[in-house]
Amino acid sequence: MAEEIKLDISPMYEGERIRKGDLWVELGGPKADGFELSLATPMDQIEDGKVTVVGPDLGETAEGTTMPFGMVFKVGGEKIEKDLESIIERRNHALLSYISGLMHLNQRYDIWMRIGTNLKKKGVTSWTQIYKPVIDLYKAEMPFIEKMEITIYTDPAEVKKQLANAMAVYAARDERAKGLHDEDVDVFYGCTLCQAFAPTSACVVTPDRPSLCGAITWFDGRAAAKVDPEGPQFPIEKGTAIDAIAGEYEAINQMAEQRSGGEYSVMKLYTFFDAPHTSCGCFETIGFYMPEVDGIGIADRDFKGAAPNGLPFSTMAGQTGGGKQVVGFLGMGVLYYFSPKFLQADGGWDRIVWMSKGLKERVKAGIPEAMFPKIATEADATDIESLKKFLLKVDHPVVNGVSRPVDGAKITEGWKFEDIDDDMKEKVIAFIEATGGDIDTEAVKAKLGMSEGQFMQVVEALQADGVLE
Amino acid sequence: MGKIIAVTGKGGTGKTAVTAMLIRHLLKESQNKYNILVIDADPDANLADALGVEASKTVGDMREFMQESRFTAAPDTDKQRLFESKIFEILIEEDGYDMLIMGKPEGSGCYCFVNNLLRGIMDKTVVNYDLVLIDAAAGLEHFSRKIFPELDDLIVVTDESRRGLTTAERIRDLAKEMDLKYKDLHVIVNKVTPERREKVLETAIGLGLKVIGAVPFDQNLAKFDLVGDPLTGLPDDSPAIVEMKQVVKELGL
Repeated sequence: MAEEIKLDISPMYEGERIRKGDLWVELGGPKADGFELSLATPMDQIEDGKVTVVGPDLGETAEGTTMPFGMVFKVGGEKIEKDLESIIERRNHALLSYISGLMHLNQRYDIWMRIGTNLKKKGVTSWTQIYKPVIDLYKAEMPFIEKMEITIYTDPAEVKKQLANAMAVYAARDERAKGLHDEDVDVFYGCTLCQAFAPTSACVVTPDRPSLCGAITWFDGRAAAKVDPEGPQFPIEKGTAIDAIAGEYEAINQMAEQRSGGEYSVMKLYTFFDAPHTSCGCFETIGFYMPEVDGIGIADRDFKGAAPNGLPFSTMAGQTGGGKQVVGFLGMGVLYYFSPKFLQADGGWDRIVWMSKGLKERVKAGIPEAMFPKIATEADATDIESLKKFLLKVDHPVVNGVSRPVDGAKITEGWKFEDIDDDMKEKVIAFIEATGGDIDTEAVKAKLGMSEGQFMQVVEALQADGVLE
Repeated sequence: MGKIIAVTGKGGTGKTAVTAMLIRHLLKESQNKYNILVIDADPDANLADALGVEASKTVGDMREFMQESRFTAAPDTDKQRLFESKIFEILIEEDGYDMLIMGKPEGSGCYCFVNNLLRGIMDKTVVNYDLVLIDAAAGLEHFSRKIFPELDDLIVVTDESRRGLTTAERIRDLAKEMDLKYKDLHVIVNKVTPERREKVLETAIGLGLKVIGAVPFDQNLAKFDLVGDPLTGLPDDSPAIVEMKQVVKELGL
């Protein structure tokens, strides 16, 4: 048993780099396997304070060695549940880095550690001497940890084996994280990082709604707010929703008012039309409402042509950007297209009629299978007329009215003529005469360019005129 | 925290050569007194070449990696730590110094977040060194993004022409506009011919510029440049190298 050695431990060593000239041993990183894993373990299966080394110990390692390395922390306590594992594991970086002569980078199966020669000079010969104090650090910082046991793996075959086990644990955690929704959390995050360019922009980042720029997920917001509480990312206590479907929260309204300098007092998360989210300046994609088809189109930054509304991305972005709340235009991040709450108040994907082709392919996995062929791209439609024809042909929900999937409420009426002129009446009469009264809706769409509803509008007008019975 | 020095100047003035010679001098003469971090922040220059070092991937490459990471990394990945590790991965570790290449500028997407992470990482990185030497493009791009912490010294390398010297004035104005903070601004005049030396210094003083070195035109240097040999191999008695003694003294190193 190696004797205890007093190590130099302080938060000031976090960020310490072990340079090549001071290197004793390098663990994991780009050249060797490495992993860290914290496991919530029943109390009776933990030998508190114990450190076991499987494979050659530190004292047997030559200077300048790069080797595979794994560390498994078993933690137990009355309050410790599976969900706490990743939160505990996340502290490895800081707590290990507090040790002078130990550098720890990255996380999980990407860890990269270096031990400096200064620890060798101090007389350290065993991993036990380094990791026993780590147990104390953990217990001091997280008092809910009642018992903790550490196993260090340095034997290459054993590291490989344990790494495979760890990968299964990470995969299960990722599945849980992907299943995290706005309902599951108490805190959202705000971000004002781009207020330098967009002074009234007040971004809200939730599990179901990543930032407009695409760079910040809810997890990023949480991490950043913790690292720098005074920084541009900050927590918003969610509270209860005023309107759960549109995503209106009192706390978000207050934040919007405060951070936009009083410019906006209402800001809703999952809608395009009524008090939508502010649009910063460098959102990845822009949505635009086209009243002629009562649907929404989306263009991405790489789309250089004009959208069916006649405008290129840059023009629309210029009108909308700068932190404005513009009804009918909305900046959105690419990750939002994978969200189950994507524009849910407006009908979600049932309301999307056009996308630039590159974007549509990129987010294919997020688009409901039934809707994918119904959304036009620049290959199908380049202006409103060709878009109308396409939407008629594919029976897009906007044509006959959208019932939004979130609650089944019918939110649009479908296409209707505002005025019915003589020209339309003549066409319809000619059509009815040509078909001999056997009306086929496909033929109505193809020959007349009208929806069923529009055709019936004209027929009703003709009936009112007494032309038809 | 150590000293942070940026060397800048227009293309063709020999800014990168001067930086390389300065590093050579510090490594040779100061007997590893300093832990040095060298940063190549000029996408047009090739400091790695001048130092005889194999170029690695760049911070720009890693920034792109980070932009893609949201599609590839685990959902709760700590991006700061991922990025930090990626930056460490491209750090070139040489005897006596480490080197980081900034590489190409950003693409068209939004880099606010990733640059904000980078700022934090740079702050944490530079404290590990006694001396940080940045070879910076004349446009000072990375400074406008506030990627680097405040400077101690800003050095402008120019040729001996009056126009060259006025570049130093312009860079001083640019730094002011960008709110780039530094303690001292110095000028190193490069490729000075002996007969014009006096006149050059006089002009500089007239413009209110502090000249800390007048590097003579050097046949050795010209030969090395011609074949592309690393400047670290220049002989000790090369006139340009000899002048570095003066520069280092003026910088208080």
